[in-house]
Amino acid sequence: MIPRKLSILSRQQLHRSRLLQIGLLIGFWLAGDALVRLTGLPIPGGIVGLFLVVLLLASGRLSLFSMRRGANWFLAEMLLFFIPAVPAVLDHREFIGLLGLKILAVILLGTVVVMAVTALTVDVVCRWSLRREPALVE
Amino acid sequence: MSLPLWSNAVLSTVLWSAATILLYLIGKRVYRRWPRWWTTPLAIAPVLLIGLTLACNTSYRDYISGTHWLVALLGPATVAFAIPIYEQRALIRRHWPVLAIGSLVGSGTAMLSAWGFASLIGLDETLRLSLLPRSISTPFAMTVSGDIGGVPDLTAVFVVFTGVFGAALGEVLLRWLPLRSVLARGALFGMGAHGAGVAKAHQIGREEGSIAGLVMVMVGLLNVLAAPLLAHLLR
Repeated sequence: MIPRKLSILSRQQLHRSRLLQIGLLIGFWLAGDALVRLTGLPIPGGIVGLFLVVLLLASGRLSLFSMRRGANWFLAEMLLFFIPAVPAVLDHREFIGLLGLKILAVILLGTVVVMAVTALTVDVVCRWSLRREPALVE
Repeated sequence: MSLPLWSNAVLSTVLWSAATILLYLIGKRVYRRWPRWWTTPLAIAPVLLIGLTLACNTSYRDYISGTHWLVALLGPATVAFAIPIYEQRALIRRHWPVLAIGSLVGSGTAMLSAWGFASLIGLDETLRLSLLPRSISTPFAMTVSGDIGGVPDLTAVFVVFTGVFGAALGEVLLRWLPLRSVLARGALFGMGAHGAGVAKAHQIGREEGSIAGLVMVMVGLLNVLAAPLLAHLLR
């Protein structure tokens, strides 16, 4: 029974340790990446890892508590991971000036339009389909 | 002034990573103290960072070779979306058709608006094509960009800027648009500003965050699958 005891012990440790959970999430990402490389799927490895985890959670093979803290940490600090990509503009000096402003205008205007159209569409479809079950409208 | 010290790869990795994390933490503290849309760490930290790299005479290539591991953590961060998505499975199972319609309409709007505004303003073909997939998350966007004849590297830059400004714009838009449902608020961020938007949506609410995460994933998959067709249409 020693291995069993060990596995229970290590599970408890996993449920308590955020660092171990972060490691586990990185492991699933690497597994997803490897799968993508093997099969040549046109999907990023992180997404494959996401589906793997959802499948394991749904089939009860993985408990929510074995990852929740780690996942919350990743989601809370995600903005940090974008920051090093922004100074990439330094490599595109041609964008410093009128061209850059033009591109920025396209991005800003486009994003406002995309957000407004998407949110209003979802809201309208939601209100229309939720006439029977109004629980979701605050 | 480029000190000989900085040529040491390990030292530069440690120093630039520390500087990036420090500026991020400062940005977070500033935002907690004065929560305005333009004080988000995603606006403050990069500006200070660009100033610092210019002051140290460091090229972006040197900077990113030391901090690329931080960007790579976006991979496991994507996996982390599995948890809120699984936790909100009841909500998602009930409303996936609405979210699918939102993703479809949103993707169409993203492409058409990029094409329309870029043509109006007079950007050339390459820039226009590279701008098309700007609303979807980076790894998807680069795949699509390559498929339709854009420049994936340029697209990556546009995607980041869409995220940075989109997350901030979304917060402002929430105050202006009469949105009643959690679904609409989540979809706004997931469609408009991919990962950065999802992070922002998580700050607004757990349900909004998981909806945004799901929409981001749906939109990414939809666009990658539609890219070959789009490439055919554009040719």
